[in-house]
Amino acid sequence: MTENHSATGPQTQRHRVEGPQKHIVVFILSMVLTIIAFAAVAAGKVNKLFVIFLLLGMAIVQAFAQMAFWMHMKDRGHLFPIITIVGGVFVVIMLVALALLWTWW
Amino acid sequence: MSAHDHHAGALPPEPEKATLEGRNKILGFWLFLGAETVLFGTLFSAYLAFRNSVLDGPRPEELFQLPMTFIMTVALLVSSLTSVFAVQAMHRHKTGPMLGWLAVTIALGALFLGMEIYEFNEYVHEGHRFTTSAFSSAFYSLVGFHGAHVAFGILWIGLVILQILKKGLTVVTAPKVYVSAIYWHFIDVVWVFIFTVVYLMGKV
Repeated sequence: MTENHSATGPQTQRHRVEGPQKHIVVFILSMVLTIIAFAAVAAGKVNKLFVIFLLLGMAIVQAFAQMAFWMHMKDRGHLFPIITIVGGVFVVIMLVALALLWTWW
Repeated sequence: MSAHDHHAGALPPEPEKATLEGRNKILGFWLFLGAETVLFGTLFSAYLAFRNSVLDGPRPEELFQLPMTFIMTVALLVSSLTSVFAVQAMHRHKTGPMLGWLAVTIALGALFLGMEIYEFNEYVHEGHRFTTSAFSSAFYSLVGFHGAHVAFGILWIGLVILQILKKGLTVVTAPKVYVSAIYWHFIDVVWVFIFTVVYLMGKV
């Protein structure tokens, strides 16, 4: 697991200090998706199932962007974080599916 | 290392990953976040199972006020961005701006928490107590647990600020900043699903 981080070797790579641009793009994306989500619900009188899938889709996109960029999961040496989060999400999907199956059928 | 021994040249570009201890701390923290994901998943699944079991209590759509939830969402989202800025300032070894961004982060977290306390207080006045119904218990467990995480984050980042004021930015303190930022982003990501699944889908 530690070999993921061994790339931090010689401390001469000054170019690795990234700028804030990507993070501001993620912020704007998150803001836009959030506003659309609230507006879609506030508008009301739309197809209920469509709105639910739209909301879930936008939440997943926003969460993905924040985890990839803000939590650095897209960066090199982040295989272990991906494994822990994907493992956690796998269990969550089973839990939620079980709860919904239990109450709907 | 003395308190003022943190000139830019002495620190590596990514001070949080400069020592094995720092790298292990980050690795262990991700394991913890995997477990946290499952923990919030159990609370979400309980909420989804019980969201219609309201007995005589108020229904979700009668309770939730979307403008309030929207402001809370924006506060937490901006605080997540400011903690990104704190980590970026750390990578540039700018201790002052880093502490400033961390302070903004906890101020916004406190705003979020204050609004949540106000919100829960309103709900209790409307007859939506913890023991009112399966819905109310599941709601307070899920949202309250998230709020407790925010409260813990404020305390934690506050202590990290105090420690850095005392010891400066070093390879020992840098992993603490990094890990607490990752925690704060995680709390924000959980909130994305709470406002979507609980508040917005409760209003659809």
